[in-house]
Amino acid sequence: MALDQKSPNVLLQSLCCKVTGKSEAEVAHQFQYAVRVIGSNYAPTIEKDEILVTDKIKKELLRQRRVEDAAVFSELHKKLQGQGVLKHRWSVLYLLLSLTEDPRKPPSSRVGPYSSLFAQPLPRDAHSTPFYCTRPQSLSLSYEDRLQSGLGSGPGPGLGSSLGTRGISSLGVYSVNGPTPTPQSLLAGQPQSASLASRLAWALPVNSAPSAAMAPPTARPVPSPKLSRSRRDTDATGEVSEASLVRDILYVFQGIDGRFIRMNAQDDCYKIDSKVVLSKSLRDLSSRLSELGWLHNKVRKYTDSRSLDRAFGLVGQSFCAALHQELKEYYRLLSVLHSQLQVEEEQITTLSSDSSLTLRRLLVWMYEPRFRLRTLAALVDFCQGRKGGELASAVHAYGKTGDPQMRALIQHVLSLVSHPILHCLNRWIYDGELDDTYHEFFVASDPNVKTDRLWHDKYSLRKSMIPSFISMDQARKVLLIGKSINFLHQVCQDRTPPGKITAVSKTAEDPKAAAELLCDLEGAFQEKIDAAYLHTSKYLLDVLNRNYLLLEHLQAMRRYLLLGQGDFIRHLMDLLKPELARPATTLYQHNLTGILETAVRATNAQFDHAEILKRLDVRLLEVCPGDTGWDVFSLDYHVDGPIATVFTRECMGHYLRVFHFLWRAKRMEYTLTDIWKGQMCNAKLLKTMPELSRVLHQCHILASEMVHFIHQMQYYITFEVLECSWDELWTKVQRAQDLDHIIVAHETFLDSVICRCLLDNNSRSLLHQLRSIFDQIIEFQSVQDSLYRSALEELSLRLQEEERRRKREEEGEWGVTAEQEAEEKRRIQDFEKTVPKMSSQLLLLTHFYQSLVQQFLVLLMTSPDESLRFLSFRLDFNEHYRAREPRLRASLGTSRGRRLSNI
Amino acid sequence: MASAANANINAARETMDVLLEISRLLNTGLDMESLSICVRLCEQGINPEALSSVIKELRKASESLKTSENCTS
Repeated sequence: MALDQKSPNVLLQSLCCKVTGKSEAEVAHQFQYAVRVIGSNYAPTIEKDEILVTDKIKKELLRQRRVEDAAVFSELHKKLQGQGVLKHRWSVLYLLLSLTEDPRKPPSSRVGPYSSLFAQPLPRDAHSTPFYCTRPQSLSLSYEDRLQSGLGSGPGPGLGSSLGTRGISSLGVYSVNGPTPTPQSLLAGQPQSASLASRLAWALPVNSAPSAAMAPPTARPVPSPKLSRSRRDTDATGEVSEASLVRDILYVFQGIDGRFIRMNAQDDCYKIDSKVVLSKSLRDLSSRLSELGWLHNKVRKYTDSRSLDRAFGLVGQSFCAALHQELKEYYRLLSVLHSQLQVEEEQITTLSSDSSLTLRRLLVWMYEPRFRLRTLAALVDFCQGRKGGELASAVHAYGKTGDPQMRALIQHVLSLVSHPILHCLNRWIYDGELDDTYHEFFVASDPNVKTDRLWHDKYSLRKSMIPSFISMDQARKVLLIGKSINFLHQVCQDRTPPGKITAVSKTAEDPKAAAELLCDLEGAFQEKIDAAYLHTSKYLLDVLNRNYLLLEHLQAMRRYLLLGQGDFIRHLMDLLKPELARPATTLYQHNLTGILETAVRATNAQFDHAEILKRLDVRLLEVCPGDTGWDVFSLDYHVDGPIATVFTRECMGHYLRVFHFLWRAKRMEYTLTDIWKGQMCNAKLLKTMPELSRVLHQCHILASEMVHFIHQMQYYITFEVLECSWDELWTKVQRAQDLDHIIVAHETFLDSVICRCLLDNNSRSLLHQLRSIFDQIIEFQSVQDSLYRSALEELSLRLQEEERRRKREEEGEWGVTAEQEAEEKRRIQDFEKTVPKMSSQLLLLTHFYQSLVQQFLVLLMTSPDESLRFLSFRLDFNEHYRAREPRLRASLGTSRGRRLSNI
Repeated sequence: MASAANANINAARETMDVLLEISRLLNTGLDMESLSICVRLCEQGINPEALSSVIKELRKASESLKTSENCTS
């Protein structure tokens, strides 16, 4: 078994015999083929690096999971190195490596092309003898020698000696039939230079000669599996290869712990196992890439936890759905990468290094998914714990960014998220239905409220749930529209389908339309809401006016409760006067109602709408002891149904208070009229009693003062207060676009009336004064009445006396007897004695009244209301009171435009 | 001299043993004779890539011949 010096051809032939197991004659084809291959493929295409080869061998062994064998091999290799017998260790090892077969893999059957190749007889002419003659020459030397000799450089190892021993220089000519084992050592004995030249000549084309004579796959794939194998396998020393890292990273992308990279719960990050040996750059790369896994986990945790939460609501669910979509895209990418990795692992040979997965490639490919995931994770963080409109606001807030990619992503999520809200909105403004089980919509409905308070209390805005892309004004309008529809349905019993109210376009039902709406919030959305608002409100007002005569009722209130219908009120008062003078406890409602009916029938009120007259009624207020009928009488107006929305209970209460005040003022007017009537009537009669003239004069003066006062008050109330406010109210109501406007206008009207009629809290003192003044007037009336009564009585007695005297004179007797005359004189004296008493009483009354009026005027001056101040001018137009009251002088002067500096 | 030659021979034998062991480890399918031929060829400077491809094809050819023989026979 010595390494004898057989020629390579011989060796090759015996190899062929050995491998194929046939005799020499039968392997002729194979032998020729082998020669050709070896001749054409002279130079090794890879570097002669022994260490590399041994590494590769080890890796291959490890790849086959034979760790102990790898250790054994290392030992053997050391031994080999130690022995130093082999000179071309590298070659041998490389040969052994390339002949390695994985026991796990079945032998690849690439029998087809080769068998055909071998089956073909090699054409004889192609292998002419001279060709063969020269060929073996080229085969004679190893590449090393050729290079060295070709370059003419320094001596290679054993150059001289190797020429003889090594090369297949002694290969001779072979005939086709069989190799003649007689090599012709052409080189032997020949000078080097000749062979050098020929060798050079052969050296050049051999390298460039394509291995076309050979079947293609044998040469090229030889280098690459070695390269890819080195990447994939783990070293026997335990250092992790990039390929396994890539596999790990792909698991980490999904949030699953890999072999080397695991989730560290304390630090909340992905950490590489510290036991693993890894180069710094790979460590860095994998850290960067595992960020994706962390982001993925965050998003996934959120969607998973939220999907379990039942009270999360539709908006939240659509948010989770949007996140899911994004995650699906991400998973798709991951599956592509996985399949790529799988392909690589299975096909060891065919893939070139360009398309394989490395960490750097992953880094580049995952750049965009990382950006998206980062945005989503930030969104998830921001939206923790929010739901409904708040969530939509949060997402919308995130969309305000300059980065167009981020904006596009957020827009997409926002369109999905806001779809439920917009859907809810559509249903609300077109159908009036609120289908909001999770309390996400910004309109809230209070189920406890009954239909009579539907307009005011039932629906309200949930301010926190208004998305930030819907303005407050739009939200209010939306609330109003739905409220109107519900009002129509429930209170007005109007069941017209909403299609008739507004031209409904049902296109806004899919997320795409929602997205479009969102893009054009200022334009299309606003238009939509405005259109719905206008139509619905107009319809509502039409219904109210047509079917429920809202405006008529408003006017009726004015006429009856605010004493607008003068003739009716006057007549009523006339009729009621005797009744109301009685104490309150003796009054019966049905009596009074009867009187009311009479009054209605007798005046213009009878031409009113039957609806209105139906509602007019008498109400008796609570009776306090000592009340007369005047104090407890009140008119009433019944409201129900939709009108009660405008005329609420508080409004009716206000109306009644105002009525009371106005009624009282009217009564004063009435009283004074009576007084004046009395005065006019009795003035002539009492001319004959000169002692009364002073008293009567006083009465007249006081009466005219009072008349003036009341006159001005009445003027003020009727014109300044009632008419002006009413005018304002009427214009507003005519111009009103929806029911809310009417309600507001009405309330303003009532407020201003109450304020100006001194019925509100600020003017309590004024009211008190006024009441006392009114009381004085009544007092005066009674005083005057008693005065007149006594005066008239006296008068009638005197007249009787006169009559008697005349009669007696006519009968021829003394007109007056002495006793009669004495009696008469006594009576007259008595009467005259009562006159000063009356006079003083009257004086007292006058003074008291005047002081009251002065105080009233002072209070008026200081009141904040302008019209009241003007009232004081009117009341004191000739400065009559000012002359008497220093306080008035000062205050009146101030307000009459004199500059403060002058005072 | 004889000892040197003997030593040489021993060394050579040892080397061959080692190489055989390695070959067995790597599951190359080469028996001792083929291996020695290969080693000799490599020592003489033959390109191992080409040699390995030759051996592979020889094997395949023999396989195919065998199968065809089996079919026909």
